[in-house]
Amino acid sequence: MNNSTWEPVIGLEIHVQLKTRSKLFSTAPNRFGDEPNINIGVVCTGQPGSLPVLNKEAVKKAVQFGCAIGAKVEKFSKFDRKSYFYPDSPRNFQITQYDQPIIIGGSVQAVVNGEIKNFSVHRAHIEDDSGMLKHFTGFAGVDYNRAGVPLIEVVSEPCMHSPKDAVAYATAIKSIMEYLDASDCNMDEGSLRFDCNISVRKRGETKLRNKIEIKNMNSFHNMEMALEAEIARQIAIYEKDPHAEIIKGTFRFDLEKKETVMMRLKEEADDYRYFPEPDLPPLVLSDEYIEAIRNSLPELPLQRLHRYMETLHLSDYAANLLILDKELCHYFEEGLAHCSNARNLCNWITVEFVGRLKEQGKTPMSAGIAARHIAELVELIEKGTITGKIAKLVADDMVATIGTSPTEIVQKNPDYQPVSDQGTIEALVDAVLESNPQSIADFKSGKTKAYAFLIGQIMKLCKGKADPAVVNKILTQKLQ
Amino acid sequence: MHTAKETQRRFQDGEISAQDIIKVCLERIEQQDGKVGAFLSLAKERAYKRAVELDKKRKEGKPLGKLAGVPIAIKDNIHIEGELTTCASKFLTNYRAPFSATVVESLEKEDALIVGKTNLDEFAMGSSTETSAFKLTKNPWDLACTPGGSSGGSAAAVAARFVPIAFGSDTGGSIRQPASLTGVVGFKPSYGRVSRYGLVAFGSSLDQIGPFATRVEDVALTMNVVAHHCHKDSTSVTKAPEDYAALLGSPFRGCKIGVPWNFMADLAGDAKDNFLASLEILKKLHCEIVDVDLEILKTSIAVYYILATAEASTNLARFDGIRYGARSLKAKTLDEVYDLSKQEGFGPEVKNRILLGTYVLSSGYQDAYYRHAQKVRTLIIRQFAEAFKQCTAIAMPVSPFPAFPLGSIQDPLQMYLQDIYTIAANLAGLPAISVPSGFNQEGKPWGLQLLGPQLQDGNVLHIAHAFEQVTQYSHQLPPLFAS
Repeated sequence: MNNSTWEPVIGLEIHVQLKTRSKLFSTAPNRFGDEPNINIGVVCTGQPGSLPVLNKEAVKKAVQFGCAIGAKVEKFSKFDRKSYFYPDSPRNFQITQYDQPIIIGGSVQAVVNGEIKNFSVHRAHIEDDSGMLKHFTGFAGVDYNRAGVPLIEVVSEPCMHSPKDAVAYATAIKSIMEYLDASDCNMDEGSLRFDCNISVRKRGETKLRNKIEIKNMNSFHNMEMALEAEIARQIAIYEKDPHAEIIKGTFRFDLEKKETVMMRLKEEADDYRYFPEPDLPPLVLSDEYIEAIRNSLPELPLQRLHRYMETLHLSDYAANLLILDKELCHYFEEGLAHCSNARNLCNWITVEFVGRLKEQGKTPMSAGIAARHIAELVELIEKGTITGKIAKLVADDMVATIGTSPTEIVQKNPDYQPVSDQGTIEALVDAVLESNPQSIADFKSGKTKAYAFLIGQIMKLCKGKADPAVVNKILTQKLQ
Repeated sequence: MHTAKETQRRFQDGEISAQDIIKVCLERIEQQDGKVGAFLSLAKERAYKRAVELDKKRKEGKPLGKLAGVPIAIKDNIHIEGELTTCASKFLTNYRAPFSATVVESLEKEDALIVGKTNLDEFAMGSSTETSAFKLTKNPWDLACTPGGSSGGSAAAVAARFVPIAFGSDTGGSIRQPASLTGVVGFKPSYGRVSRYGLVAFGSSLDQIGPFATRVEDVALTMNVVAHHCHKDSTSVTKAPEDYAALLGSPFRGCKIGVPWNFMADLAGDAKDNFLASLEILKKLHCEIVDVDLEILKTSIAVYYILATAEASTNLARFDGIRYGARSLKAKTLDEVYDLSKQEGFGPEVKNRILLGTYVLSSGYQDAYYRHAQKVRTLIIRQFAEAFKQCTAIAMPVSPFPAFPLGSIQDPLQMYLQDIYTIAANLAGLPAISVPSGFNQEGKPWGLQLLGPQLQDGNVLHIAHAFEQVTQYSHQLPPLFAS
């Protein structure tokens, strides 16, 4: 198999459940995790005589998303009926936007292997979710709690050429939705779902070959594995027979076998008999409405990434780490309000504290450590109140006694009190010099390593409490 | 029986109690509806309960509603919470409405007394009430004839003077045609003027709820109660309604009435004679008759049967036997639940229309049928707008024939022709009324249809009222029910 001669072409359809109080076309609550058929009304069970009324909050979130990806927000869009029979579909038609969606175009940027790539969005539209079929022994039931939950379906251009591209794109869409507070994007709960369309072709070919669709992957990792497996499968078919045609179909990913499995053939396009939803007038938005939303967008992930790297001078790695974890990033922002050294703060949060809590399966947020306390710890180091070494001990104590501020910990523990008294430090220096005559000789003959060794010995003797600046000053004086 | 206005006055003035009104009304229905078959079910308990409350309200001197004490019948495709809504379909034999339609809420808020549900063509699909799965309704003027349809039960209930007001729904003429055939007033308001919330949908973009009454005045009184914006119906108009009752009080000084002769070239015989006579009456009311071009309406039946069935095929898709309604007992698999429940639950006309609607929406046929019909619909709307530049209202017959014998029309296409003059108002969303305009030699009623521009419901009622004042055809009772 020669990977370099083959080019995968991937397009994604991402379904995002919007976080709204009520459902897309009714006043029933939009809430996950309740007992079956609690959050339902006459609209979401398709009772005759009921009528849909569009949820304005869902429209606003869709417009925010459109603005966030630089798309064209259509002033005129409409809803259509998409007919298909299935028990989870209460009217046996879905209300969606077929040929005049609310969002057209737009793009997202994402880092792939250290390189910023641009991915194009084809369109995005609003539609309602279906209920869920639950299978039991001998019968099945339908839970309509999910029926009518607002969805935005984001359809990409076939612009991705590797599983990593696809993951980076999907991750970027997810973090934009999270930053807009438009969705929980919880893959386990199904509030973020993706379908991949994939084909491969010879590099340099301009036409697309037959594609297949992989449905229902519930993590980025699974999506990446599924795509890798599918790319390998298609390439193998073409390499065995250059004239082979990939059979169009819908696949799922078998996690155990690590391979894609066909669920059904796509012999011809399904006939959904789309036509305009007569119960809903077209959705007409004013320029003022769209501009007001555009002008009040929160800081978006990419903007924040630039700020972290350019203004705060965080490393590429650290900045991305924060951006992709909305909660941690928010925590960092909280600490930042109380701290002047962003790089150190980032390190203390993402390495020291995250590391200390990992074993317990907690995060600084879930453990209840206040971000401003970590900021305070960084400030104590900055001001020279404690050394970095002491700070690590203070951090241990902060994890052990949740809620105590680092200043309080330092004040209560004499071992953490810094030693900056001239006389005490001088005595320490003298003691070290006395027992290390060889190092003094080495230093005088130009071996700078000897100096560092002496500092180390002094700090060891004082258990890291001496103010390094004072130690430096006295040692230099003594050696001259 | 008294008119709605008179009933309200008598109750308010203490001449009769609400309980007596209900008693008399229900007794009359129970004694005489066996002959007519207007009602599918009676809401006795609800009516008496509300009558008791209403009598108490009056006794306590509290203000009484605009329809206080007025008995009203509701077509059985409009929800009354807790009562059956069968749509005259086997499929919904036992379906109890989970909520009340906005019209029902509005009527009860104004102290009307709802007495029962009336027969209709199954899911309002038909023009004779013969496709009802439950019973035939007969025309009170001639029990061998149909009352028209699909709101035949409501029309017959008013014609037989069981109730002064009944509600129907009109998708292609289903209020006006039975009103005409039974000699009562039937009004289809502008699309969006009366909330559709709680009406079981047939063709959502065409459906409109409206009243039957024995007098235009009662229609206006009723419209004052049910015409308002409804936030549960996204197609409801936000514009404030007119005061229809007050409008009728102002003198009518004549206006320009358009007649689309090029569309009605086939009109002949008695129907034509009655229509010409009606025009003469309008002239006497200082109306100027002008010729308007609406030749495009020749396409309206074709356009209608594409659009209405397309919408119906999806509106009725929910009747699948999964959540409510009749699930076939023979079904063993999911596909059988779908197939057999529909096969057993729906009658032939409903099946016809679902198949037709599914066909015209199918890929490969949608351009030729559905999209094409939508374009023609737009042209019809435009042509009406042109016509209304020349006139205040348009006059047409309601139906090319008077009431026809039960069972006499077997060919669905012949039945569809019943709606030739009424469909256009639905396609263009216009207010249109059928007002009694005389009788043929056999004593069967004729109706005159008047149409106005969208949301000019008041003008239509005003002209019809003037016409009624000078003709008084609506004062005549079917001989069988004259007592």
